[in-house]
Amino acid sequence: MHRVASAGNTSNSTRPRKEKRLTYVLKDTDDTKHCAGINCLSVLKSSSSSCDYLFTGSRDGTLKRWAIADQASCFATFESHVDWVNDVVLAGNTLVSCSSDTTVKVWNSLSDGVCTRTLRQHSDYVTCLAAVEKNSNVVSSGGLGGEVFIWDIEAAVLPVAKSTDVMDDEGSNKLINSGNYGLPMTSLRSVTSSNMSVNNAQSHGYNPTAAKGHKESVYALAMNDSGTLLVSGGTEKVIRVWDPRTGSKNMKLRGHTDNIRALLLDSTGRFCLSGSSDSMIRLWDLGQQRCVHSYSVHTDSVWALASTPSFSHVYSGGRDLSLYLTDLSTRESILLCTNEQPVLQLALQDDGIWVATTDSSVHRWPAEGSHPQKVFQRGGSFLAGNLSFSRARAVLEGSTPAPVYKEPLFTIPGIPAIVQHEILNNRRQVLTKDTAGSVKLWEITRGVVIEDYGKISFEDKKKELFEMVSIPAWFTMDTRLGSLSIHLDTPQCFSAEMYAADLNISGAPEDLKINLAQETLRGLLAHWISKRRQRSGSQTFNCDGIPGRDMPSRSISHSRVDADDSTENHHLVLPAFEFSTVSPPSIITEDSQGCSWRKKITELDGSQDEKDIPWWCLDCVLNGRITPKETTKCSFYLHPCEGSNVQVLTQGKLSAPRILRVHKVVNYVIEKMVLDKPLEGGNPDGQFGLVPGTGQSQLASLGDSSLRALKSWQKRKPSIEILCNNQVLSPDMSLATVRAYIWKKSEDLVLNYRVVQNR
Amino acid sequence: MVMGATGSKLEKALGDQFPEGERYFGLENFGNTCYCNSVLQALYFCVPFREQLLEYYANNKNVGEAEENLLTCLADLFNQINSSKKKTGVIAPKRFVQRVKKQNELFRSYMHQDAHEFLNFLLNELVDILEKEANVKDSPGTSSQSEKIANGSSHLHVNGVQKEPQITWIHKSFQGLLTNETRCLRCETVTARDETFFDLSVDIEQNSSITSCLKNFSSTETLNAEDKFFCDKCCSLQEAQKRMKIKKPPNVLVIHLKRFKYIEQLGRYKKLSYRVVFPLELKLSDTLENADAEYSLFAVVVHVGSGPNHGHYISLVKSHNHWLLFDDENVDIFDESAVQTFFGSAQEYSSNTDHGYILFYENLGGRS
Repeated sequence: MHRVASAGNTSNSTRPRKEKRLTYVLKDTDDTKHCAGINCLSVLKSSSSSCDYLFTGSRDGTLKRWAIADQASCFATFESHVDWVNDVVLAGNTLVSCSSDTTVKVWNSLSDGVCTRTLRQHSDYVTCLAAVEKNSNVVSSGGLGGEVFIWDIEAAVLPVAKSTDVMDDEGSNKLINSGNYGLPMTSLRSVTSSNMSVNNAQSHGYNPTAAKGHKESVYALAMNDSGTLLVSGGTEKVIRVWDPRTGSKNMKLRGHTDNIRALLLDSTGRFCLSGSSDSMIRLWDLGQQRCVHSYSVHTDSVWALASTPSFSHVYSGGRDLSLYLTDLSTRESILLCTNEQPVLQLALQDDGIWVATTDSSVHRWPAEGSHPQKVFQRGGSFLAGNLSFSRARAVLEGSTPAPVYKEPLFTIPGIPAIVQHEILNNRRQVLTKDTAGSVKLWEITRGVVIEDYGKISFEDKKKELFEMVSIPAWFTMDTRLGSLSIHLDTPQCFSAEMYAADLNISGAPEDLKINLAQETLRGLLAHWISKRRQRSGSQTFNCDGIPGRDMPSRSISHSRVDADDSTENHHLVLPAFEFSTVSPPSIITEDSQGCSWRKKITELDGSQDEKDIPWWCLDCVLNGRITPKETTKCSFYLHPCEGSNVQVLTQGKLSAPRILRVHKVVNYVIEKMVLDKPLEGGNPDGQFGLVPGTGQSQLASLGDSSLRALKSWQKRKPSIEILCNNQVLSPDMSLATVRAYIWKKSEDLVLNYRVVQNR
Repeated sequence: MVMGATGSKLEKALGDQFPEGERYFGLENFGNTCYCNSVLQALYFCVPFREQLLEYYANNKNVGEAEENLLTCLADLFNQINSSKKKTGVIAPKRFVQRVKKQNELFRSYMHQDAHEFLNFLLNELVDILEKEANVKDSPGTSSQSEKIANGSSHLHVNGVQKEPQITWIHKSFQGLLTNETRCLRCETVTARDETFFDLSVDIEQNSSITSCLKNFSSTETLNAEDKFFCDKCCSLQEAQKRMKIKKPPNVLVIHLKRFKYIEQLGRYKKLSYRVVFPLELKLSDTLENADAEYSLFAVVVHVGSGPNHGHYISLVKSHNHWLLFDDENVDIFDESAVQTFFGSAQEYSSNTDHGYILFYENLGGRS
C-alpha cells in the first residue's frame, strides 16, 4: 500500500505531537547549489545598469538569488521554509514565497536572506502565488483545500497601528472597492480580525481577504497588472474569476477536463491563458466569458506558461519535457527545446527563458522573447490542433519535431536530489541514491558523506553493507527535501548507545557508553552553546541560567540535583559529534507557538532561547539529562552448556546494557571461575556484580581492575566460549545482536558457556 | 425423504414446461441455516459451477474413502439433487451443514448468519481444497487441471481471497480483476495495482440502481488533507486521485449490496432497506478498461427482516427462463415482473422487508 495517512507519516504532520521534534537536514554542498528540484522562478529586472537577478525556489526548502551576468552566481540563500518552496513572486523589491509548510513568507529580496514576515493563514500546502505588476503591495496565495487569500503585503508586515498609513499610500488607494464596500480593504480586514487564528499571531492582527468558494484544491493563480482580476484553477477543472479587492466571485469558466496547473492574465485582464493536465492550453476571453482557442501542443500535462508582454505568443512546458512556443493568433507552434526532466516553471528574461524542472539545475534557453517570430523562421513549426490529445496522436504517428535549440545558453548547476535511502543496521550510516544514480554512504552523526560509490547498483551495495548488528531505531528520516532529514523524537531517540572505544574517541574510558542522540544533539547545538556562553559573559555555563518557563517544572527543579558527577565529567571530557561547518546541517523545530523554523546550526547566534528549542534538547545538552530508556538494557540468563561440568555460576536473571559484547560475558565467566569471589562492587548477597532483574549495577562495570591479571591467566588456562541456540558466539557481538539474529525470540535471552581446551 | 405437496404443486404449475433433466428441490432448515440454503440454491443454479462440481463428483467418486471435506460434501449434495429420480422434493443437506459447522466456528452457533460471509467462506474454502489437490497432483509430475497465472504480477485480493498461484475452476467462474490506480496530483505519476475478486461489495444509496452503485464504486476518490498519498517519485506526501476499475470482468459477477451498515451513533449495525434497482440485464461499461460486458441476472439472495441480527434468507433463481422462489423446503414458481418487489423501499419504514442482498449475474458473452 502506498497510501500513507498523515498520522502515520509524521514528517509532514501538522497535528500537535506530544513533544516537539528536532529535525536536522544534512547537505553535501556549500550554499551555492540547490539540492532538489526547482519549483519556481522569478526575475528581478534591474532599474539601473546593474545586473538582473534571478530568484529560484526549490524543493530543498530554500530560495536563492542569482546575479545574472555572463554567468549566474549565487548571492544569497533564503532559508526559513521547512518544506518545499512551491512558488515565488516579486512584489516590487519584496520577495514572496509559499511552501508546503503551509506558510507564505515575505523577504527583503536584496538582503542576504532576511525573512521579514511569515504569514500563517493557510491550513494546508500553499501551492501558488500571484502578484500585481502595478501595485507591489498585493499578492494572492492559493493552496490545497481550496484556500485562496489576497494579501496586502505592506499591511501584513507592518504592525496594526500603522495600517492607517497604508491607506494613504498611493498604491493602496487603487484597492478601494467601488462596489459593495465603501472601505479600503486593509482597514476592513483589520476590523474583522476577531476570528483570527492562533497561528496568525505573527500577523499582528492583519487578516487577508479570502476568496471563498473553492470546492477543491487550487494549483494555479494569476492576477492582471492593475490588480482588478484574480483567476484561480485547480482540481475542480474550472477557472474561477474573482475580484481580488473584495474576494467576490465574477464567473466560472469550464472547458478543461483535468487539473488546471498554470494560468496567465494579459495586462488588461481581458484574456486568460490556462494550461492543464488534460494536455491542453486554452485561451479565454473573459469579456465574452468563453474559451476562444484551445491549443493541442503538448503530449502530456501542461505545467508552465509564460507569455510575451503583448500576449501574442506563449511559451509552454510540462510533463512531456518539452518547451514549445505558440503563436496565439496563427496557432503556429514550434518545439524550442527538450529538457531532461518535466518542466515546472518558466521565466522570460530578455531574449532568453529560464526553465525550472524537477532537476536541481536551472537552464537558460534562447527564446527570442522580443521577436518570437524569428524562431518560426527557422522552420519545423506545426499547426496546433484543437482537440485534446490530437498532438499525442500526431506524435505517435511519427511526426516528432526536432527541437530548434539543442543546448541551453547556460546552466546553473545543482546537486542531484536524493531519491532513495536505506538506514544501515549500525544506525549511524545511511546509504543513498540520487537522481543522477550515484550511491553514497552517509555518516549521520557527523553529517558527511564518507563514501561515494559512484553509479552502481543501490540494491547490491545495500546487500554488501549488511551487518549483523542490532541497534535500536533512534531516529527516523525522510528525503523530501532532496537531502537527508533526520528526525529526533524524545524519548525514543535516546535508546541507542555505543562504547566510546568503538567510536574511536581517544582518552575515553573503554567502557564509557555514548548515547548517540545525546552526542548528536551536543554536536548540533555546539555553536549555539558557545554563542550563548559568550552572550552570558565569560562564566562557564550555568544550568540555573535557563528560565524554565517552557520546560516542565520537574526538569528544572531537579536538574541540579539529578545531574550526577559522572555525566557532568563525561561531558567535560568528551568531544561531541562534530558536524561540518563548510556545509553545516540545518535544524528544524517548532517554537512555543507551534510554528516551525529552520536555521543552519552555524547561524544559531545564541539568541534562540528555551522557547525556540525543545526543552528535552536543552535538558540533554545543558544538563546532561536524558530520559532513561529501559530498552538500553537487556535481560538474560547464563547457564552452563548441557553436558559441561563447569560449575554453575548463577541461575538468576542478569541485566546488562544491550551493547555489551560477548567477550565481556566471557570475562565475567572466567573471573567468576578463577577468582571465585564476588566482584568489586558486587552485591553482598553474592550475585557476582550482576543484579538480577533491572538493577542499576551493570556488567559493563566489571573487569577493568582485574583485566590485566586475567589476560595472563587466559594464556595458560582453558578459555571460555559462549553459545546461544547451540551456536558459538563471536566475542565482538553485542547482546542485542545475539538476541536479534541468533536468539530470535521475544523471551529473555539464554546464553550458555563452556570451556574450550587450548590447542 | 419427505415428499411434500410442494413438489407436485410445482410440477403441476409447470406442467409440460418442466425443463428436462432439471431438478427443483427445497433444502431443509436445521435451525437458522437459511443463510446456507439460500446461497446453495443460487450456486446450484449457477450452471457452470454446478457442471464443474458434478464433473468433479464423477471424477472423484471412485477414489474410495477419500477424506471428507467441504468440496466432497457439496459435490455429494449437488449430485444427490441432480441424480434424484423425482423432479421435485426436499433434501436435508445435513452432512454439508455439519461440515460447515465443523470447519468454521463462526457458523457453529444457531445464530443468524450473514449469507455473504458464508458465500465468501465457501468459495475460498473450495479454492483451498482444489489447490491442495492440484499441488498433490503436480508434485509427481502429472499434468494438472490448474494453470499458472501468466505473468507474476502482484495479486492482492479483496474480500479475503488468499494469495494463490493457480487458477481453479472456481476462479474461472467467479474471479475478476480490479485495478487500483493512484495518481499523484503533483508529479502525475500513476501507480497501478491489480487485485483479484470473487465478488464486489458495493455501498448503496436510497433510490439508486446497481449501475449507479458500481459507478460510485469506481469513482475517483481524492486523497487529501490529513490523508495524503506518499508519492515515491516526489518523496513526500501529496494529494492524489484514486480509482478502482474492473480490468477483467468475471464470468459470474456476484454483487453484494452493503445493506448492513455500522451506525456509529447507535454503536451497532443497522439494516438499510434502501430501494436499489437491479436490472435483469446489466451492462458494465463505465467500470471497464476495455470492452463492454453484458450480464444477465440468474439468482438473488434475499434478506427478509428489518434488522441485521435476525430475519430470514430466501433466494430467487432463474432456471430455463422461469423464475423460482426457494424458501428452505419450499419451492414456488415466481413471476419475473415480481422481481422488483425485492428492490427495497423508498421509505424508511415499510412493511416490505424483503430486500435483494446478493446478486448473481452471468456474463452473456462469457458462456463458452
